[in-house]
Amino acid sequence: MSFAIETEGLIKIFRSRWSGKEVRAVDGISLRVEPGATFGLLGPNGAGKTTFVKMLLSCAHPTAGRAMVFGRDSREAEARRPIGYLPENHRFPTYMTGRSMLDFYGALSGMDGVTRRKRIPELLATVGLAEWGDMRLGKYSKGMLQRVGLAQALMHAPTLLILDEPSDGVDPIGRRQIRDILHALEQQGVTIFLNSHLLAEVELFCHDVAIIHRGRVALEGKVKDLTAGSGYRVEAEHVPERVQQELRAKAMAVAQRNGNVEFLFGSRDEANLAVDLLRAEHCEIESVARTSSTLEDVFVKAIHEQ
Amino acid sequence: MNSKTIGVTLALVRDTFREAFARKIFWGFFGCSTALILFFVFIMRIDVVQGAIATVSLFGNTSHSLDVQRLVRQAHGAIAAFLFTAGMFLAVFASAGLIPSVFEPGRIELLLSKPVERYHILLGRYTGNVLVIAANIFYLVFAVWLIFGIKTGVWTAGFLWSSALTVYMFAVLLTVVVLVGVLWESAAVTTMVTFGIMIVSPILAQQQTLERLLTSETSRNIVRCAYYALPKVFDLGRIARSLVLGNPIDDWMPVWSSGLFGVVVLGAGIYVFARKNY
Repeated sequence: MSFAIETEGLIKIFRSRWSGKEVRAVDGISLRVEPGATFGLLGPNGAGKTTFVKMLLSCAHPTAGRAMVFGRDSREAEARRPIGYLPENHRFPTYMTGRSMLDFYGALSGMDGVTRRKRIPELLATVGLAEWGDMRLGKYSKGMLQRVGLAQALMHAPTLLILDEPSDGVDPIGRRQIRDILHALEQQGVTIFLNSHLLAEVELFCHDVAIIHRGRVALEGKVKDLTAGSGYRVEAEHVPERVQQELRAKAMAVAQRNGNVEFLFGSRDEANLAVDLLRAEHCEIESVARTSSTLEDVFVKAIHEQ
Repeated sequence: MNSKTIGVTLALVRDTFREAFARKIFWGFFGCSTALILFFVFIMRIDVVQGAIATVSLFGNTSHSLDVQRLVRQAHGAIAAFLFTAGMFLAVFASAGLIPSVFEPGRIELLLSKPVERYHILLGRYTGNVLVIAANIFYLVFAVWLIFGIKTGVWTAGFLWSSALTVYMFAVLLTVVVLVGVLWESAAVTTMVTFGIMIVSPILAQQQTLERLLTSETSRNIVRCAYYALPKVFDLGRIARSLVLGNPIDDWMPVWSSGLFGVVVLGAGIYVFARKNY
């Protein structure tokens, strides 16, 4: 099976022309993204995310290693045909209208005139810019540019969408709209590769993530696995002081919350024993839940551990 | 060349025209050309009697008994000379921004993410730029040729050929714009380097005189190499004038050697562009 994206030991070293100083922007990244996946690439500023994406698109040439897109070497022009790309800090020509911009980039993607003319109004409507298609991009707001940029990336119905900070500068409604569009594309089997520093956005949308730091993969896996904790939280009310003392000795943490007591246990057995004791003492169990971390917790931990 | 390749090329050419329109480059040239054409249509009155010009009126001043062929060729020659000097400087100045603008961060990444070879992007832009200038030169030259032809009955093909030579020279100089633009991504540096080549051309054209003045053999070799290596703007101007005046061309070396320079420099531009990281 060919992966939507596959990199092997990808390295990019930038050398200063005068001083000869080297910067290893990407330092041996090997990643695999399956077709139809929603993949988030995370990392602090300067981690090498954008350089990695640029190598996938052949905007930057790898110093070593290789990048493949649907089984083709990313340096081949044909490897870019299934890709729709929205860059971060894009600068669309301001002399173009939304319509002419879509037409131009559609033509570069190899679409014929008839298909382009049919597709443009559909896409403008999809991103909520149907009435703005004939206005120059110079007059667009940041959010509108982001949306027309997304339309540009979708113009030739790509099977791999690479988005660099797609909701940057977009208001919450627009952000929701973009997420809905991406969900619809996910349903259609489009592989979505999201490069973003908005962890909540990635957590909401992506199923798989990789966190890169200093040009290397610090952590990789399924979002649900990475954010799943190993502890159990038991919340009860009317817990006598004596029982509280007994459980406090076994719990990792205890917290008072609106008159209830919340115990945090490190294992399922400890949690079960606590529930038995609380029920025997006629305490009301409010909730029992497995603990979880946010992607932010995972991110911070991964960065600090590396 | 398949339909996709043609479609991509046309899109790149159309985009260059669109940017030239937006930057008012096209309209600036078009306006100047139209003003000159209107001048010849309405201000200059020519009365031809039996193959010779009886009177030529310009702003109320009248001249008599001029040779019609001579007058037309002189007017054509003046326009050709203008196009080869001031027109060429203006064209390079106006075009200098059209190539580096493609390399702006945020714009180049998007272009490179499309399934198009890098050389294709560069050649498409280059072709579009040449066509923007060619459209204006041909418009002016053809209209003036038509006006003079209708008013005097003299139709000389040399003037039309000279416009082709002017476009050819511009296309050669634009290769410098491409290479410098790829290397430094700056319209200012691009303009300076190209203007430098244009300014040094009339000096190098006096290569034989220069060689006599120089005492060292090394200096003479440098001048000789520079003359043969660089595009010969001055010499091509002379050839254009000879074409207009109907004089024979005894040496085509400046034409082919300038073309060779253009091919090499454009090739270097494509090579650098293909290897560059964005």
